[in-house]
Amino acid sequence: MIETISLVGLLPKVFEGCEQEPPVCTSEVWLKDVELLRGRRYLISAESGTGKSSLCSFIYGNRTDYNGKIFFDGRDTRSLGIDERCDFRRRSLSLLPQEMRLFPELSVMENIRLKNDLTGFRSDREIFDLLDELEIAGKADSKAAFLSIGQQQRVAIVRALCQPFDFLILDEPVSHLDARNNAAAATMVQREADRQGAAIVATSVGNHLKLTDYTLIRL
Amino acid sequence: MSLIDNGSLVRRLLSRNMSMAQICGYAFSSLIGLSIVLTAIQFYRDASGIFKDGETNAMQQDFIVVSKQVGLTERNVSFSPDEINDIKAQPWVNSIGAFTASRFKATIGVDFAGRGMTTESFFESIPDKFFDRLPDDWHFDSELGERADVPIILSRDYLVLYNFGFASTRGLPTLREGEIGMIPLVVSLYGADGHVTRMRGHIAGFSSRINTIAVPEAFMQWANGKFAPASRSNDVQPSRLVLEINTPGDPAIASYMERNSLDIAGDKLDNGTAAYFLRVMTAVVIALGAIISALAFFILMLSIYLLLQKNREKLHQLMLLGYSPEQTAAPYVALILIVNSSVLILASVTAVAASSMWAEALRSLDAEPVSATPTIATGLVIMTIVSVINIMSVRKRIRNDF
Repeated sequence: MIETISLVGLLPKVFEGCEQEPPVCTSEVWLKDVELLRGRRYLISAESGTGKSSLCSFIYGNRTDYNGKIFFDGRDTRSLGIDERCDFRRRSLSLLPQEMRLFPELSVMENIRLKNDLTGFRSDREIFDLLDELEIAGKADSKAAFLSIGQQQRVAIVRALCQPFDFLILDEPVSHLDARNNAAAATMVQREADRQGAAIVATSVGNHLKLTDYTLIRL
Repeated sequence: MSLIDNGSLVRRLLSRNMSMAQICGYAFSSLIGLSIVLTAIQFYRDASGIFKDGETNAMQQDFIVVSKQVGLTERNVSFSPDEINDIKAQPWVNSIGAFTASRFKATIGVDFAGRGMTTESFFESIPDKFFDRLPDDWHFDSELGERADVPIILSRDYLVLYNFGFASTRGLPTLREGEIGMIPLVVSLYGADGHVTRMRGHIAGFSSRINTIAVPEAFMQWANGKFAPASRSNDVQPSRLVLEINTPGDPAIASYMERNSLDIAGDKLDNGTAAYFLRVMTAVVIALGAIISALAFFILMLSIYLLLQKNREKLHQLMLLGYSPEQTAAPYVALILIVNSSVLILASVTAVAASSMWAEALRSLDAEPVSATPTIATGLVIMTIVSVINIMSVRKRIRNDF
């Protein structure tokens, strides 16, 4: 279980030498000390190209091209081995990548099961109900390749909820959803995060996930 | 077409892009390579039977007894220390043992149901390790001295001579090896002063390797010290040597013997030459098979690396979902195991089938084909090593992409 994620003097290597220029000098994250706490909600708002997806990847551990440090409950994440990373990805961290990363040759249900099978977190019935809540249950057997971007986003949201987590990291989860679907998605992720006592860290360039009671962080 | 589709989603995902042609190409070339290796090994093991020589095997480590060529003009038949050192220095000699001859007069007597028989005799001894098989009672207690029992190992040829040459013409009973040990012998040793010492003795065993009347070294030292005339006490140069050879049949042995006018007891060298030729031939064939197997191994590694490259994005995505490198490698591991075990089974069948083809020819040479189990075990070891290397490199590659 992770209670606190600490970002200490973090800076993407791509911004090296630009410390005094925007977006680094105006950022509340880059080169600052930030603590993300389990059970809280964070909305990281930024313009394009400021490093939102990079931040998500740094925390999730699939990229290490940064200066500074990230700690999980005081432990430097650079010291984590592959097996520990895998374990965190199954039990503590859930990521919805901006590009969704669904497998086009698999159906919606198969894509979700691929995640769910790792921990057996939900029954098929529960998965189906979550899809239904986002109005895509009818697409359960369709190949992901045939879904619109908005539909893929909703499938990816459900998939991200099919594991235990302490931090749910959502990279622009509703960029292609209308207001109604945005609200439905926000309701669902807040409910599921609350049920697990987990934090939500959502990024957005404009179409914010309609979270309630959140901390706004400008990147 | 999916080769490893067992319904698992991960396998379904990763078995795409798999080229059947590449996998079949590997399987086929690997099968040919391993079949050649295993068939050659089986042939070598089967054919070794032809060169079996009593308890010793001409194909492997071997022992030869050498002496100087004798003739009317040849007076000195013993080996000087320099000559012994020269033989010891030859690369084909593993170890060397000298025959120590008795330097006193001796007779051996036997009492066959009241019909006594005594013959003049001699003894020789060699270090124990040069005997093919040592009897349990092969020791002489020098503290007991004359009251101790003298165990004797005879050349197996002597028994044949007695049974088929002597006993049948004299109406004496023929004897089997096991029975002879029970016959009490009287060993008479003649001292320099003409004093006769009679001791008990028995035949402890027979040897195909050592063509002599052998006694334990301890007895020889004791008896030579006690009975040898002082005039012969310095005459300690051996006239026969037993050599442990590490490359039987090596042509270098024959040329060395010829160059130094040495004789080898029996026809061991001829046998050894054929065995040496067989060994060289087998080594060449095995080397060819090994080269083909090695090439096949690289084909498989290249195919899998290509496959990993094609599926790199998928592998990365699976690991993003929380799959471990081992889990994502599982379909490739399964593929390697299935293909390699099939290759092993088919190559083993080929070796066994080939062995049955030459079995008849072997029987006509008085040799029986041997069990194929060690050959198959060798194949198993080879394929296990190949599979482990395959699997480890696949896992390493996938971990690098984590």
